Amino acid sequence: MMEDETFTDISGKAISLSCQDHSSLCKEFVVSVPKVSIGKVMVYTCCVWLLAYAVFFFTENTAVLSSAIFITLVGMMLHIHFVKVDHETLLFIGSLGIQLSSSYASGRETTTFIEMGKIKDIVINEAIYMHQIIYYLCVLLKDPSEPNAVACVVPLFQSSKPRLNCLVKVYKSCQEILSKC
Amino acid sequence: MVINSPSPLPERAIYGFVLYLGSQFGFFLYCLWAFIPEEWLHSIGLTYWPQKYWALAAPIYLLVTLVIILVLLFGVNMNNTAPLDSLDNMTDVYAKGQKTTDCNKGGIPRLRDIDISEVNRMFYLSPKL
Repeated sequence: MMEDETFTDISGKAISLSCQDHSSLCKEFVVSVPKVSIGKVMVYTCCVWLLAYAVFFFTENTAVLSSAIFITLVGMMLHIHFVKVDHETLLFIGSLGIQLSSSYASGRETTTFIEMGKIKDIVINEAIYMHQIIYYLCVLLKDPSEPNAVACVVPLFQSSKPRLNCLVKVYKSCQEILSKC
Repeated sequence: MVINSPSPLPERAIYGFVLYLGSQFGFFLYCLWAFIPEEWLHSIGLTYWPQKYWALAAPIYLLVTLVIILVLLFGVNMNNTAPLDSLDNMTDVYAKGQKTTDCNKGGIPRLRDIDISEVNRMFYLSPKL
């Protein structure tokens, strides 16, 4: 079963969630963030270069122009490689564990795997983030020494930060699997 | 029992009025010191007073400090907010230390911190009424 509905993230930008049921015990959720728009890139580049030209106009130093070009290029490369996330995936295999992966705009992918024995629960929690309170989905990890205590919290979908309606969908599917195994 | 409330009282009105008169008088004295030339003050006998530079510098220092405190307060608050991956967003020492068993079955259960998994089940898994 494949679903594609438009949800939004915490600041109102549209994102999309796609749920895939591989089996009754295995589900995959992909949250995709819209790509960098060419308009925005052009606006930023023009602003930086106009500023550099204004500085050049007053200082008559050509190094300002070349350094502005260099900085823009390097900045854009670093941004798409380290900052701009294209999509985040949550793969939940009931008997095995959870795999979280973020794929960046340059193609780089980072993956984390948490085995089932360490997972206590997946919950939606509310917390203060900067100037607002947001809902976020997180995995609670067990404490080896104490049966009921939580050792550690792993927040999911950190870069895309979907809103509650999207999180509730993922939560319900995950709880279905957790209750079966 | 004495009830503490922020409502106006006669004593508070008197304190307020005294402070108001005092601050107006203090401002008047400050203006006197700032405007009267040095020679006149020396001739009266008041020789060991701060330089006139401070008549301008002190208020400016004060205002800049206030603005910096505003920014710093915001920054300190944001710094002290627990990050999203911290356990402080779910529970704390007091919630962990509370008794989990309730002795009287059938009565109203004790007031206590409920575990987050249970809260989630109640909010998101229970059928809508």
